[in-house]
Amino acid sequence: MSFSRAIFLLLFLLTLAGLTWTFVRYCRYFRLLRPAFTVRKILWRLGHMLKVAVGQTKILQRPAVGLLHALLFWGFLVILAGTLEMVADGLTGAEKSFSSCGCYDLLTAVIDVMVPAIALITLIFLVRRNVVHVSRFEGPEMTARSHRDANLTLLLILLLMVTLMAMDLFYVAGGGEKGDYPFARWLAGILSLPERNEGFPSAYRASWWIHIVTVFVFANYLPYSKHFHVYLSLPNVFLERPWPWGHMPAMPEVTREVRAMLAGEAPESEAPGRFGILDVEDVNRKEYLEALTCTQCGRCTEVCPVHLTGGPLSPRKVMMSVRQRMDERGPALVRGDAPDDGRPLNGFHIPDEELWACTMCYACVRECPLSIRQPEVILGLRRYRVLEEGGAPPEWNNVYTNIENNGALWKMPAAERLAWTRGLVLRRDGEEIPLQVPVMAEKAARGEKPQYLLWTGSAAYDSRYRKVLQAFVKILAYLEVDYAVLGEEEISSGDLARRTGNEMLFVMQTLQNLELFRQYGITRILTCDPHVYNTFRNEYPDFGEMPEVIHHTRFLEEMMEAGRIVLPEGATGTSPVTYHDPCYLARINGEYAAPRRVLKGMGFTVREMPRHGAKALCCGGGGGQMFREKKDGGEIFVERAREALSTGAETLVTACPYCMTMLGDGIKYEHAEEKHVVRDIAEMVAETLGI
Amino acid sequence: MKIVVLLSAVPDTTVRVQLSPEGVPQLSEVPLVINPWDELALTRALELKEEAAGVVERVEVLHAGPAAHENVLRRALAMGADEAIRLDTSPQDATSAAAALAEWLKDHPAEIILAGIESSDYNGGATGMRVARRLGIRPVGGVTALQVEGETVLLTRELEGMREVLQVTVPLLAVVQKGIAREPRVPSMRGIMMARRKTITVVPVPAAEPWVRTSRYAMPPGKPPVKMIPAERAEEILELLEKEAKVIRFS
Repeated sequence: MSFSRAIFLLLFLLTLAGLTWTFVRYCRYFRLLRPAFTVRKILWRLGHMLKVAVGQTKILQRPAVGLLHALLFWGFLVILAGTLEMVADGLTGAEKSFSSCGCYDLLTAVIDVMVPAIALITLIFLVRRNVVHVSRFEGPEMTARSHRDANLTLLLILLLMVTLMAMDLFYVAGGGEKGDYPFARWLAGILSLPERNEGFPSAYRASWWIHIVTVFVFANYLPYSKHFHVYLSLPNVFLERPWPWGHMPAMPEVTREVRAMLAGEAPESEAPGRFGILDVEDVNRKEYLEALTCTQCGRCTEVCPVHLTGGPLSPRKVMMSVRQRMDERGPALVRGDAPDDGRPLNGFHIPDEELWACTMCYACVRECPLSIRQPEVILGLRRYRVLEEGGAPPEWNNVYTNIENNGALWKMPAAERLAWTRGLVLRRDGEEIPLQVPVMAEKAARGEKPQYLLWTGSAAYDSRYRKVLQAFVKILAYLEVDYAVLGEEEISSGDLARRTGNEMLFVMQTLQNLELFRQYGITRILTCDPHVYNTFRNEYPDFGEMPEVIHHTRFLEEMMEAGRIVLPEGATGTSPVTYHDPCYLARINGEYAAPRRVLKGMGFTVREMPRHGAKALCCGGGGGQMFREKKDGGEIFVERAREALSTGAETLVTACPYCMTMLGDGIKYEHAEEKHVVRDIAEMVAETLGI
Repeated sequence: MKIVVLLSAVPDTTVRVQLSPEGVPQLSEVPLVINPWDELALTRALELKEEAAGVVERVEVLHAGPAAHENVLRRALAMGADEAIRLDTSPQDATSAAAALAEWLKDHPAEIILAGIESSDYNGGATGMRVARRLGIRPVGGVTALQVEGETVLLTRELEGMREVLQVTVPLLAVVQKGIAREPRVPSMRGIMMARRKTITVVPVPAAEPWVRTSRYAMPPGKPPVKMIPAERAEEILELLEKEAKVIRFS
């Protein structure tokens, strides 16, 4: 064995040893944690990975910088083949081991062209980071170390590319004949290098060695840097959660306990272990994998409504804290001797005001190129505080008590549930017909089974929102739809309880509601509330058989498609409106088109806000925020109302009770309530129809 | 030191209790909750146990009522009470309730007994004081703050325009009112689970004759209809007051 082969082998083994050591270290951490789900549907996962990770679809949501990253990533994949060849060369002592392969000329040519491109992109990234000062690279969690880490990674990549360019250049100049190197040839021409020079082969060897040693260093550095995603992005995307965005993971131990409680059965003798996340050992494997995969790019924080309005939350920081805390506590946990050091993830690394502030709007999740779900970690933290300590903000505790005692978010008696239905009239052909809202129990008593259940939600108590429900039942009556409401029997869906961390209350509501649906043999549910729609659609099926649920925007669209809602003659010429996408209807459940089609069908022109559709800014009311008194800035509703007003539209249309309240407040805050109104899409339709 | 909180079960405050044609409150379907003042008293007792660790060692809740009231005691356990005792009787008035409670407390003394100032259903406001009288211990009424300092207790009472602070040695009974704790404690899932795993001590009590009998209940008369007058016709008010309401007369 030649001396250089021996050296290479030694360095290679050292690299492998280093990587193995790191791998074992992380495996031990993963073993401490509970699995998040069982991995099934491998083919779907492969497809998803090809699309999101290899295809870079999510990073390309921002075309310019996304394309740069995608080119860099794809270039890396190709260059990887070259690196493997270098390892083969190093181990065997051969030169250009892969050159017998048929496509070798193409491979080397592509690499040769990609390398300067990547070098250029790396330079652009360095400039962006150090000269342009992109705001999302800043923030309290972005320490000097984070910046150093980023720059070191970029410089290492640059060094890798420069040495590769040098290799190709000196190989070509030295008369190397294997492979095709168009860029190197061009460069050699530009530099007008002498035809043959004794020094070229040595320069080639030197570049080769510098490159491969840098590769070895880089490979071992990555798992300790924020650039771990070079390894983990593919597995992380491959291990996508088998549930949709709006779905929060169930807690089987809570479900069991609540089922026993409702059935009046004795509890299991042993109480289950800790609920939610107190410290890093309580996160699940997927969440930890995400924390390691996070590159601190800050796209999540940049779109977070709380962050945007000066509030205390940064989703990036949440993920960074998980990783940081495992670095801090992991070794002691592995040894099985981790004392309480007074620095738990929940409370110390992530203080109360951060975990209470989240609106669960999923803007961060939508933005993350690596499909990280920050809200699930935040919910885990909330669950600990609520289920273990009863430590929710007092406003939420009041809501919980109301849900428990009177089934509604507000302290309102069940007897008032139907107050909004009193004195309704339907106008038809110039006549006013008294409108009776049918009640499920009465219908059932007559042996009737209506086609739809209309779920009104707690908003039935809200004086403004009542008008929306009134408009919608008028439309239902106008269309002669066979439906009924639960009236006094309706209780909260539990959505707010779940998203604020009170899983027990959520399960109680869910089981009671499912039982009610079963008793009445309900097959289809209509609702105007996207939060109810989401939890019914995505979460209730975990607990039992769930009827189909339809949001009223979709229902109205279908009625329009079927020609049952038609724009009356002479009803055109209305002033333009703007439409606010409710998070739980649009971004989270993908319903962008129906409300816009309905508005258009009713003769309205929609003037879009700068942030609309999937990028729409949250109204600030979700995730329990509507009931929280903020002491920490974050006036999201004002920001959104301003954006709506900036369109010049007098009417701001939405399709959610929370959005209606929040944006209505925002407009008042801006003293614009004399000229501008917030309306639900159902009101727009009812009014246009003149009913 | 042991604190016993006297607990009353009352209809949920959002429920509008209906009367039967004979004037009897219809309570069978009505969900019961802990009397709000008792809930605050219990919250304060639990705070004291946490604050003055080692001084207050135990918090118990004591209730005189039928088995149907046990969910209210479960909630008290879920909030963090160490033990719940139910005196198995259905007292018809404050006196018989106080008699039953005092009978138990005589044999199971506590350093501090807390009672809410009244129950939100009948608002009699008599039970706490009667228990103290029967036990022959110091009663303090209308307490809005309570601190334990060794063997003495500092009690604050709100007076008109000023505040009275009393230093009382135990045993004592404090009748507390709003302010004693900021917000009632909300039980955690863990608390509710642990409460389900605890047993409620049930003590048989002979039925007692009530001292007072209610002859009947009556609903207040409904609000008379309201006539809205648009702002631009405000001058009509005077005319209406004179001619329709007949409460003023222009001579």
